[in-house]
Parts: sequence; structure tokens; C-alpha cells
Amino acid sequence: MSTLLPLELIDKCIGSRIHIIMKNDKELVGTLLGFDDYVNMVLEDVTEYENSSDGRRVTKLDQIILNGSNITMMVPGGDIPDS
Amino acid sequence: MTRKTSTSDFLKQLVGRPVVVKLNSGLDYRGVLSCLDGYMNIALEQTEEYVNGQLKNKYGDAFIRGNNVLYISTVKRRV
Amino acid sequence: MAEEAENQSAPCVMNEPLDMVRLSLDERIYVKMRNERELRGRLHAYDQHLNMVLGDVEETVTSVEIDEETFEEVYKTSRRSIPMLFVRGDGVILVSPPSRPTM
Repeated sequence: MSTLLPLELIDKCIGSRIHIIMKNDKELVGTLLGFDDYVNMVLEDVTEYENSSDGRRVTKLDQIILNGSNITMMVPGGDIPDS
Repeated sequence: MTRKTSTSDFLKQLVGRPVVVKLNSGLDYRGVLSCLDGYMNIALEQTEEYVNGQLKNKYGDAFIRGNNVLYISTVKRRV
Repeated sequence: MAEEAENQSAPCVMNEPLDMVRLSLDERIYVKMRNERELRGRLHAYDQHLNMVLGDVEETVTSVEIDEETFEEVYKTSRRSIPMLFVRGDGVILVSPPSRPTM
């Protein structure tokens, strides 16, 4: 089995639901339409989760381009693990 | 088979359309996108600034420096 | 990436976002900075990082304090005037031609 480069893993996720964890405890779930070398991502049917001291805030979005500079992790599959 | 959307194509599509720009600090800007570049620097027209969903300011034109941008989103409807 | 000279509906000369800043040269602009700082001043010069030289600047700093008894948030603003100011671009959030903040 050959190793999968990080960006190849992301490429395999195109067209499927992914879960993104941002540096500042925000999380997003959406369908990945595309990305670039900076890991900026185009996402569709997005749900944004903001965890703050007074609970969780949820925002639905149509299509977005997400700035890659604050992404810390990406999990294939659209489930929120905890919650 | 899914077609790949390049980030630059998506950015080009956004020009001239109403968008929401969310910053890392949590601020939202709604306005019409007049242009942007690869750093996600953005020029907006008819800009409205929202803090926690509440309208706080209006600017005719606004330049937003790209490093602050969390995402740029299309809007289907104004809420 | 920003080089596409798409034919825009408006006949204005904006091909990239920094053009908006260029059109504000010698005008009084509003600058929103990180850490709750706001500047109003005349834009003398800028570069591609959005470093700027501003003249006749009024700086407004807003801070929040928690009232120890009522636990209410108290906003405090302080103002000062600065004749000439260099602004490093990485602290800038937003630039706008000034006349318009209405609220």
C-alpha cells in the first residue's frame, strides 16, 4: 500500500461531506467542492458551529470559500464526533 | 463523478453578488462584492457590519484585509 | 489570481481590492484596527501590505470593563490626536472612505 499524501486525502473527499475544525474552536460541516494549495476550501450546504461560553451557535450557509489559514484539522465524513 | 470547483473559479463567481464575509473575530459584513484578490482582500459596496447578528454600522465602501477573513459565503436570501 | 480584467457593469476603475484604497488617497478615511482601535485621518500613502501613512489622525480606543458590583460591561473610549502616523498593515481589519459610518 502506498502512502497517501495529506492533500491527496483532501482530494479524495471532493464531493463528500467533511468536518473541519478551526483554530479558534469553530467547526464546520459541509460538502467539499474544491480546494487549493493553501487548503482554502469551497464548501456547499454548510453548517457552522460556534462554541462559546453561553452555548453553541449554529449557522446554515449555502456556498462558502473558507480561508485555509485558520483550519487546524479536517475529518472525512460529516459527523460531529462529540456533542 | 463529481466535478471539482477550483477556489479561484468560485471567487470569480462571487463578484457582483451579495455576500456575507465572516471574520475570525466573529464580525459579519454583508454587502455586494465589487472585487477580491488571491489574498482574500475584499472590496465591498453597501456594506453592513453585524456584531452578534445586530446591525452596528454601515459603510458605503469598505476594504477588508484578507488575513481577517474566515469565509465568504453566498446569500440566498436576506434574513 | 486577481488579474482577470472582467468587464464589470460599473465603469469604475476597480480591478483589485486595493484600488478602493488607491481611490481614497488624500481623502479622510476610516480604519478599523485589531484590539478595538479606530482611526480617522487623511491617507497620504499605502503599499501592498496595506501599511499606511495617515495625517491629522484621531485615534479612538474602546475598552470593556466589568463593573465589580453589577457585573455589567462598561465601554470606555479614549481619544487622542496624532499629527502623522505609520500604520502597519497586519493590524488592519477594514478601510472605508470616512463620510459614511452612520450609526
